[in-house]
Amino acid sequence: MPRKVVHSVLCWLGLSPLLIVVLFPYATMLSTALKQKDEIFQFETKWLPDTLYFGNFVELFVDRGFGRAIGNSLYISIGATLVSLLVALPAAYALSRLRIPGQSAFRTYLLVTQMISPIVLIIGLFRLFAYLGMINDLNALVFAHSAFYMAFAVWMLQSYFDTIPKELEEAAWMDGASRLKSFWRVFLPLCLPGIAVTSLFTFVNSWNEYAISLTILREGSLQTAPVKIAFLTGTLYETEWNIIMAATLIATVPVAIVFASIQSYLIRGLSLGGVK
Amino acid sequence: MSAMTSSKPTPATTKATRPRPGQGFSNLAFILPSILLSFVIIGYPIFEVVRMAVSDVNRFGKIQGFEGLGNFFKVFEDPIFIQSTYQTIIWTVSVVGGTVLIAIPVAIILNEDFHGRSIARTIVLLPWAVSLAMTALVWRFVVNGDFGTLNLALTQLGLPFNNHPWLATATSAFTIEILVGILVSIPFTVTIILGGLTSIPVTLYEAAAMDGATKWQSLTRITIPMLKPFLQIAIVLNVIYVFNSFPIIWIMTNGGPANGTDILITYVYKQAFAFGKLDIAAAASVMMFLVLLGFSVLYLFMTRQLAERN
Repeated sequence: MPRKVVHSVLCWLGLSPLLIVVLFPYATMLSTALKQKDEIFQFETKWLPDTLYFGNFVELFVDRGFGRAIGNSLYISIGATLVSLLVALPAAYALSRLRIPGQSAFRTYLLVTQMISPIVLIIGLFRLFAYLGMINDLNALVFAHSAFYMAFAVWMLQSYFDTIPKELEEAAWMDGASRLKSFWRVFLPLCLPGIAVTSLFTFVNSWNEYAISLTILREGSLQTAPVKIAFLTGTLYETEWNIIMAATLIATVPVAIVFASIQSYLIRGLSLGGVK
Repeated sequence: MSAMTSSKPTPATTKATRPRPGQGFSNLAFILPSILLSFVIIGYPIFEVVRMAVSDVNRFGKIQGFEGLGNFFKVFEDPIFIQSTYQTIIWTVSVVGGTVLIAIPVAIILNEDFHGRSIARTIVLLPWAVSLAMTALVWRFVVNGDFGTLNLALTQLGLPFNNHPWLATATSAFTIEILVGILVSIPFTVTIILGGLTSIPVTLYEAAAMDGATKWQSLTRITIPMLKPFLQIAIVLNVIYVFNSFPIIWIMTNGGPANGTDILITYVYKQAFAFGKLDIAAAASVMMFLVLLGFSVLYLFMTRQLAERN
């Protein structure tokens, strides 16, 4: 047993430089968000605030309208998750269970949609939504995000569907259930965990997206949380880092916790998506 | 068998649908919604970008005539485009190279059995969960010359970095951005390499140990060669992601000082949304798109090879 202890210490030591760099920004966020403004701009900066100060969070929501940005982000992320599930569920089901002509072409197509980054097409996207009259429309972001995150959702769902024994559905057919009925009553309930994990990933991706939101939502009141926060640095005469760090804390920590709890499922989706 | 499937027996071989007449064309209805959505949101913008690249477009986006390859020539005459291209190569090579070099030992350690491994894994993967925009913003504050916590920490360690303005010169700003780029690319790369490590059969190591191989020998003779296809895939995918990574540079320096940290994507964004030169931006986008497509084809080719090997 002591041997394993020594081994563990060595492993942690080896990882420590990276771990420190990963955690350093969090220490910074926490330390700054809980300080009063005057404390940050002192000549001698310190790590620990003199007193724990929560006024930054209050100011953020009351004076800076950050609640609105969170609301916009929630609307887009939930909408994008629903739309991408709506199109990804049947596609994943078909890839897992049915014979589709041109199946491998469809897989390649999905992969290519995943390789194209929206930023390279940003002018085209802007024009598309301008034609549709959807500049400054949160729904534009719902559709844009769901299209770009759809392929990953299909792979995640398919990898989950493949683990569910098809005998269960066949038994339902035997009992006279239609394909649709067996899908709703037998198959879908079994898949709920996989669907939940897929939804969370889509949600996190959409929540974090920056470039499309920055470009399509040009009005201040429609900005998403990441765009709003980045915007806060540019508009004020004196960048109020205490407010900004409070905002990043609110926008990142809940998402990071969700992500940490489901990260082990990522490997599945990735392995089917073509990495492994 | 398709390129994207893993080494596991795929559903294609175990498929047992009720026998149906025809080739299952009605099943196309299942994949139609996904094709339609991506066709509109991804396909149409591609068409638009290509159309604008070969047209004369005014600053309000009105197409005024056919320009042929004229926009492309204009792009190549712009010294900032050439500079941005050069910086894009430095950016991509440094970030991807640095990421892979760090990710290999990190993944090997994380594959060991030690106390608190799952905590360590979670911390290493943490940057993946956070918006690139937020990461960039927090780092911009961390390296802030006057109030940043990096100078605070370095000063506390007794180093002479009080008020050092990290983002004031292009070289030091670009270096910082590359390091942040590496940090956010590590989680994904570690995940791929971990997948590769778990695919190496334990019996290989046992056999090597039986023959008296040292730990170092089994690392260099078994682990690294067996990881090679996974590393190739990690490199190509990272190149695709890093090549057009926008938020880090946009938020930390906006391409400045004096275009010293501009890469192609920030160049395109500025041309389009700051200077209103939509045709120039479109032409540059098309070139970037072709590079991306090239790497995607390379990726497809490599995964196909890996699938055949298995």
